[in-house]
Amino acid sequence: MASRRRMLLKVIILGDSGVGKTSLMNQFVNHKFSNQYKATIGADFLTKEVQIDDRLFTLQIWDTAGQERFQSLGVAFYRGADCCVLVYDVNVTKSFDDLNRWREDFLLQASPHDPDNFPFVVLGNKIDVDGGNSRVVSSKKAKAWCASKGNIPYFETSAKDGTNVEAAFQCIAKNAIKNEPEEDTYLPDTIDMSGGQQQRSSGCDC
Amino acid sequence: MIETELHDLSDDADYAASQQQGSQSMMRSDSGRRSEPEGSEIVYMKDNVSIHPTQYMSERISGRLKLVKQGDSLFMTWIPYKGQNTNARLSERDRNLYTIRPLPFTDVRSIRRHTPPLGWQYIIVVLSSGLAFPPLYFYNGGVKEFLTTIKQHVSLVRSADDANVFIVNDFQDPLQKTLSSLELPGVVSVAAPSTNASAAVSPTQGNQGRTDVSAFDSNSSLQSLRRQRNKSNDPTKDLSIQVLEKFSLVTKFARETTSQLFGESSGDQLFSNDLKKHSHSQSLPDLHSQSSNDLEEVPCEAPVPADPMEWLTFLDSEGRVVDSIELRKRIFYGGVVHELRKEVWPFLLGCYDYNSTYAEREYLRSVRKQDYEIIKLQWQSISPEQAKRFTKFRERKGLIEKDVVRTDRSFSFYDGDDNPNVNLLHDILLTYSFYNFDLGYCQGMSDYLSPLLFVMEDEFEVFWCFAALMERVGPNFNRDQSGMHAQLFALSKSLPVKFLMSAMSQTEMRYEETMRLWEILWTHYPSEHLHLYICVAILKRYRNKIIGEQMDFDTLLKFINGLSGQIDLDSIVRDAEALCICAGETGEACIPPGTPPSLPVENGLVSSQLEDEVL
Repeated sequence: MASRRRMLLKVIILGDSGVGKTSLMNQFVNHKFSNQYKATIGADFLTKEVQIDDRLFTLQIWDTAGQERFQSLGVAFYRGADCCVLVYDVNVTKSFDDLNRWREDFLLQASPHDPDNFPFVVLGNKIDVDGGNSRVVSSKKAKAWCASKGNIPYFETSAKDGTNVEAAFQCIAKNAIKNEPEEDTYLPDTIDMSGGQQQRSSGCDC
Repeated sequence: MIETELHDLSDDADYAASQQQGSQSMMRSDSGRRSEPEGSEIVYMKDNVSIHPTQYMSERISGRLKLVKQGDSLFMTWIPYKGQNTNARLSERDRNLYTIRPLPFTDVRSIRRHTPPLGWQYIIVVLSSGLAFPPLYFYNGGVKEFLTTIKQHVSLVRSADDANVFIVNDFQDPLQKTLSSLELPGVVSVAAPSTNASAAVSPTQGNQGRTDVSAFDSNSSLQSLRRQRNKSNDPTKDLSIQVLEKFSLVTKFARETTSQLFGESSGDQLFSNDLKKHSHSQSLPDLHSQSSNDLEEVPCEAPVPADPMEWLTFLDSEGRVVDSIELRKRIFYGGVVHELRKEVWPFLLGCYDYNSTYAEREYLRSVRKQDYEIIKLQWQSISPEQAKRFTKFRERKGLIEKDVVRTDRSFSFYDGDDNPNVNLLHDILLTYSFYNFDLGYCQGMSDYLSPLLFVMEDEFEVFWCFAALMERVGPNFNRDQSGMHAQLFALSKSLPVKFLMSAMSQTEMRYEETMRLWEILWTHYPSEHLHLYICVAILKRYRNKIIGEQMDFDTLLKFINGLSGQIDLDSIVRDAEALCICAGETGEACIPPGTPPSLPVENGLVSSQLEDEVL
């Protein structure tokens, strides 16, 4: 049995405004889609229990605001992240072009211990729109970019009809677990079978 | 003819006293009359007119006395305030029992006035049937003015037997009425000989520093007259009026809230520690000592929204808001009915000056309409070819397009496909981003704009109200070009912001409540930083839970986000008002100068403490 801290996986969703970050999160957690979400201001998160290799984890998924000028808030939310999800809209070129900026911004603000190996996952969302006819970013192009950044896993999703959402988040969770052992090296006291350290669960009570 | 009927009211001691203290009187005897020729109009209105249903002076029912003119007939009403029980023994039934529903003056035989040298003035209205209403006590004064106003509309003859009894003769023939009124010596025998129409208006103007010197050359003499009157006034009465005035703000609920808010002893270390300290040492004891005497019964204004008729009473004949403080106070407590919002909001937002006249505003409107069209044309004239080479424009437009289709779409005004109102949101926001190109568009702006568009009719007027609002809250969006634009949403810097956002989040909260909250904040009454006190009030309310459960950052954020739509607006505003009054000047002094009104700050009252605690 692992300590409670190890069971919580913190995931940050980033991407341009309107690419579907909130919708992806809600589709995965609540299996619901609404076209009436409002623009996310500040940040919020949802949690969901996931089972990976017979172990239960709590996935804490952070939804953030997409507008650039909110990014200075990032540092408060990025800290302690185990995985970062980069989302773009396959129908909007700019949202894809901005992935680089989002990735670098995250690494800068979250300052993980091993930036080169920090787990990212890229999602190309809204593949359902117009039956795929309005698509402007090809799968090939997206995969090439992911490959160039250290083989980032890539999924094409539809938050609206749920396509690939479950698979994407399974992958996200697995990658988040990979990030875990590193943190144990600087927080050794959390390996505590008695459960007496549970208050320090979130890893960011600073 | 009108001039001869108006009387200088400054010799009415109560009236003068109440006026001089910027009192709660909302009466404007001659304003609405000329501007609304048809239908009914309020020609007189007085708050805090009370009856004492029992022999105990401590038991009273307060209400609002009005004279309403409809056609040629004059009606009198007295409606008790709702939910202002000063005593548990006074039931709702009592309230209904004593309510005076529109009573035509044809049914009134006489009015007897009592103006004791000590104590309150009251009148007794006797009906033609011989029955009489219980004495109506004028706690804000104004008996003389009441009689004067009646006399302007119906014939009122002083009884030969008793100088304090006035006989009503409501002649239906206007000519006869006029003649009759001219022939009489007048209700008020002490009316100053120099009285003219403007003099009757000026007592209220003394309050608020408007200086139409040319129109009011008699002003200074009037001032001295009033001073004289005050001197002769019973000093103890003056004092109590002042106290009443002061504490009408802190109503009973406020006091209860106060003790509730500060009564808890556990876990004070986190929130508003300073506030508590100050309050205990200063304001609070005062408050409690006041409650030990008969101030217990101080009525507050009825939480009934102001209607268009009442609105007219705030305007002078040329459309100026005579007493803006009184107006804002009125809106703070009672709000305005929805159809009036489009009239009143531009004032609250600073879009129109309170001192502007109808004519000035009309002119301003025509100028603004043109200006808006010109700015709008700036982006409308950008061709697709030009847009291709104008990345900033495309991005801005794209962002706005994305946001307007997800702004209050569950609200009927904005729902459905191809809703023209959604297009209007887009046009106005894009026009604004050209008007204020440096600020541009920031997410969250559409939430500000949405209720404005819903309330206002003309696109250009919505735009200018929005622009005025952005002038106020702009610093929150534009505080620091390097990235702290989103001051409002700076959760990491100022946690209470999130609390407020929770309360204001429109899609989660009923739309009407949102509008009401904006209205309250825009009045800048009792403080332009009331939003901070609202934050504190919310924190106070959940203090035990937050501290008791030792919430960490994540849990706290989740908890706060979850408060959306869970907060009762009225009660939290009452708490905030109580906090604000208790904090008094000390509280205001804690707020750094330059802090934008109506929106949060970086190092506000409690945010810095929280920051340390949470981050």
